[in-house]
Amino acid sequence: MKKKLIRRSIRKEFNGWWAISLIGATVILLPILFVFSSLFFKPNENWFHIREYLLGTYVKETLLLVFSTGVLTAVLGVTLAWLVTAYDFPLKRFFRWGLILPLAIPPYIAAYTYRTMLSYTGIVQATLRNEFDYQMNPEWLNISSLRGAIFIFTLFLYPYVFLITRAFLEHQSASFFENARLLGRKPFSIFIKVVLPLSRPAIVGGVVLVIYEVLSDYGVTSYFGIHTITTAIFQTWFGMYDVNTAMRLAAWLMLIVVGMFIIERLLRSRQRYHLPAKSRPLAAMKLKRFSAAAAFTYCFAVFSVGFLIPFVQLIAWTALTFDEVWNDTFFTLVYQTLYVAFISTLLIMILAVIVANVCRKQSAFSYFLAKWVTTGYSIPGAIVAIGVLALFIGLDERLAPLYAMMGMEDAPLILSLSIVMLIVGYVIRFMATGYNAIEVGFEKIGTKYTEASRVLGQGVTKTFFKVDLPLVKGAIFSGFILTFVEICKELPLALLLRPFNFETLSTKTYQFAKDERIHEASVSSLIIIAISMLSIIVLQMINKKVKE
Amino acid sequence: MKIVDIQNLVFSFSSTSEPVINGVSLSIMKDEIVGILGPSGSGKSTLLRLIAGLEMPWQGSIHVAEKPVVSEKLFIQPEDRGVGMVFQDYALFPHMTVNENIMFGLSRLPRKERKPRVMEMLELVKMEEFSERYPHELSGGQQQRVSLARALAPKPNVLLMDEPFSNLDADLKAEIREDLRVILKKANITCIIVTHDRQDVESICDRSIVFGQREEVMN
Repeated sequence: MKKKLIRRSIRKEFNGWWAISLIGATVILLPILFVFSSLFFKPNENWFHIREYLLGTYVKETLLLVFSTGVLTAVLGVTLAWLVTAYDFPLKRFFRWGLILPLAIPPYIAAYTYRTMLSYTGIVQATLRNEFDYQMNPEWLNISSLRGAIFIFTLFLYPYVFLITRAFLEHQSASFFENARLLGRKPFSIFIKVVLPLSRPAIVGGVVLVIYEVLSDYGVTSYFGIHTITTAIFQTWFGMYDVNTAMRLAAWLMLIVVGMFIIERLLRSRQRYHLPAKSRPLAAMKLKRFSAAAAFTYCFAVFSVGFLIPFVQLIAWTALTFDEVWNDTFFTLVYQTLYVAFISTLLIMILAVIVANVCRKQSAFSYFLAKWVTTGYSIPGAIVAIGVLALFIGLDERLAPLYAMMGMEDAPLILSLSIVMLIVGYVIRFMATGYNAIEVGFEKIGTKYTEASRVLGQGVTKTFFKVDLPLVKGAIFSGFILTFVEICKELPLALLLRPFNFETLSTKTYQFAKDERIHEASVSSLIIIAISMLSIIVLQMINKKVKE
Repeated sequence: MKIVDIQNLVFSFSSTSEPVINGVSLSIMKDEIVGILGPSGSGKSTLLRLIAGLEMPWQGSIHVAEKPVVSEKLFIQPEDRGVGMVFQDYALFPHMTVNENIMFGLSRLPRKERKPRVMEMLELVKMEEFSERYPHELSGGQQQRVSLARALAPKPNVLLMDEPFSNLDADLKAEIREDLRVILKKANITCIIVTHDRQDVESICDRSIVFGQREEVMN
């Protein structure tokens, strides 16, 4: 009897939408499974060498980087978030969103900008030397180190913590803080005893995003010569073309990610983001002269170092090299980047809409499907990249007889040399960005319109095009922009999966920086920053809409 | 003729929870207006959703107009059941005008007959002047009438109404109840109305069925 019911359910629910969702989900999961499968292959001597002499350093530096950045971004993000929510001081309204701007500068761009600025010929040392006749010990300003990487990551990734904590605090009821004051607590004590514990889930959520970014990073770490597992994965591939060993390293990195995930769950324990309905928000307190100046100085310092200074420096360099760089080759580069990003985003949005639509009907199965298609986000780019690469090389091996039949015997690698590989990588990695936006859109409209349409005689597909799609088009649009921007900024995937001689804005920027052609890199950097700002504007717009 | 025939229906939201509907059997004859009365949580709205095909029962069968729409082997999708429904919050498509909302269910009608049918419906619910408005530009009572017109337009076998008065001001209720009865009788439609208010049933319905904890009370 049970079987009959199950068969009836499958017949009822199964349609083209499910079929496409399942195919999409399989494509997404395959490379990740491939990485894990490497643990069952017999390792070669490269692996033994790495495990014996290098793996310890890789793991140690990765953990050190992750831990320090995590703590520092939390400190910076939370204090700033509390300042702009609880207090009133000059330019506070500007800082409320201005302090998000460092997010528009990808860390690898910040890394080369700061290293050049602080180098012997850079503006800092040159000014000190020429204007003040002061010779600084160059070691003090050497940021090509673990310390330097922590500095860069902290300054350019803290906005994740800031953004989430700020939103959280702004939704908290004022009564918590007022009660604490009535109970005789001083502001600092309130911050430690009330604000921090209360916003723990938000802080943890923000820090986790930072950690994912750090684990994914290849640009900063390789430029500064730091040995993390991610850089090791790349070196194993670029240096030895040893996919199996690279995959083993990726599996190790995956273990760290899983560890982080478990720690996150433990830290949040039973706490979830809880937003009490219709509470009176906290009214900002006006700061007196000295404290107002201190708050302003703190915010302005972070804003300057995290955005203003590198931004102005990049503009100055652009002025030097603009005529040289701004030519047809460069236009092709911009066009290629936007084109690939557009195609990938389009695929992501189409698949995301289909899967999200299927998952609106809640069941254990749809829950897993949703988790499944969005795993790419919590998996560092290097793992996705190496998984996709291995999968495509494997596919090419399998398809070799077919290529031969088609008369392409001398071309054993077709798929793994094509742009398809990069696009698949992007889709897996950034599916979650698009999906989450659409899921929010669907949650907002609920299912009543869809049900009304079904009862009025329209099938699933017609209902989708006539009712669901027009109602979530705003969410689709914002999801599109956010995903598009992420793809334009992305570096590690692009470096590893692009076809031979194919450059994107980010790979070209990285290449210029690596070749010490810093000034030339500034034009493409500025374009990437401009594109990134687009997503900040979209986020602000969504924020405003939610408030209304 | 039995327009709706329900046999031994069992439904729960998950395999572990208590059934909300446990062994319900009932039938509704043609042109009857039947009220289903019961406290909230008694499963009366779920019964409507089961008839419409928005939920799937664990056991039992439903026939609409003497055709099986759900049994243990069979499930007819909601769009193929010939059932009309007025939702509790009306669910008028916010991106369509009144006209477009009513036209929405008429895709199976030949193109030429659609416009006259919409006019006919607007006339029935006395909303002719509002045809170009969007739902948010209408009052609650007007929205309800549009929703009714939309549900009736495709000439369903049976009309299901879920708490039709819960979103309306109390002082408007009496007047709207009377209007509704007139419209339903004029449209010659079989109708099931779910409500928690005995007065609704008394002023509109031909007969009523009481749902809820009655069995437990009697035990």
